[in-house]
Amino acid sequence: MLCIGCRTCMIGCVVAHEGKHIFEVDPDGYDFHPKLKVIKTFNVSVPVQCKHCEAPACMAACKSDAIHIVNGTVIIRTEKCIGCKSCAEACPFGAIQMVTLGSARNADGAPRSVANKCDLCQDQPKGPACLRVCPTAALRLVKEEDLGQTLKNKRLATLGLALGAEAQKQAAIGA
Amino acid sequence: MPSEFGLFVSTDIAKCSGCKACEMACFQSHNIKRNNVGKTVGTISVPVTPKLYVTVIETASMPVQCKHCENSPCKAVCQQKAISRVGSQIIVDEAKCIGCKDCLMACPFGAIALLPFYVGGRQAPQADSSGGKVAASKCDLCYEDPEGPACVRVCPNEALRLTDVNEERKKKNIAAAEALAVINAGDPGRRALS
Repeated sequence: MLCIGCRTCMIGCVVAHEGKHIFEVDPDGYDFHPKLKVIKTFNVSVPVQCKHCEAPACMAACKSDAIHIVNGTVIIRTEKCIGCKSCAEACPFGAIQMVTLGSARNADGAPRSVANKCDLCQDQPKGPACLRVCPTAALRLVKEEDLGQTLKNKRLATLGLALGAEAQKQAAIGA
Repeated sequence: MPSEFGLFVSTDIAKCSGCKACEMACFQSHNIKRNNVGKTVGTISVPVTPKLYVTVIETASMPVQCKHCENSPCKAVCQQKAISRVGSQIIVDEAKCIGCKDCLMACPFGAIALLPFYVGGRQAPQADSSGGKVAASKCDLCYEDPEGPACVRVCPNEALRLTDVNEERKKKNIAAAEALAVINAGDPGRRALS
């Protein structure tokens, strides 16, 4: 609910993957292809990006062996992508966008379009750019251990509630 | 085609009964002018040559057809330049095809077959006149038909759909955003500090 829909995460994503030279060159001279997309509905504004599923539908659908899980992160090797769009079709979140590259063309000279999605800034030592640039700190990286701790806390709270209810019941019986 | 990326026909496997109505409609719609193939029994005088291939296993079936790849391996390997991009779609020009089969080998989906090519009820001659012509055959999304892909129209189970990934993505993005709103609402730590 902290997201104000400013799209800074999308800019940060492009800067992280294209380099800072984008502020110095002609706007048409680089690829502006964010790997996440801010979606605004009546109820909410929020960036939609890859969830790095444990059983990725995109990876299962890829016929050109271009999608792999590397250290728990689902990565597209765009150099292998034939642009068949099967992964984009398979992703239930719409987290994969087809993009036409300005920086590379196919061997026959035709424009090259590939699947594009969040790679958790795997090449960035500081981690995902989107959450570093978010002005309201609305984004966070959910790690496996965080998920474990969150679930543990929730279960402890559930147990606490059950204990409270049981105590009330006993009190009622005793009264 | 107005879309930026190639459209393609996708299948809801749960609905496909493997009836091959799509194959027959595909063949008929592509041969009505060329070979006078009609929609009724007794009008077929040439081999049935569809551009999509219903594939059946014990538990499922689906028509396998071209995904109209953006960086098409078939187009890349064709030395005759018989495969080209028309709008956003990948189209085979059978007249230019010499039957080298490179595209069949390059396509990772098995969406292209080598089939006899008939014109006017007769098999066209091969380029070197050595025999009857065979040519690469694959989905062209019925690009010459204003009503769109025949397979989609005839499927009795409505299992086929003309897919535009950009349009589908928008719908899925909105659903994903709304789901995130629900997740956040259930997590007090994620609410705005108001």
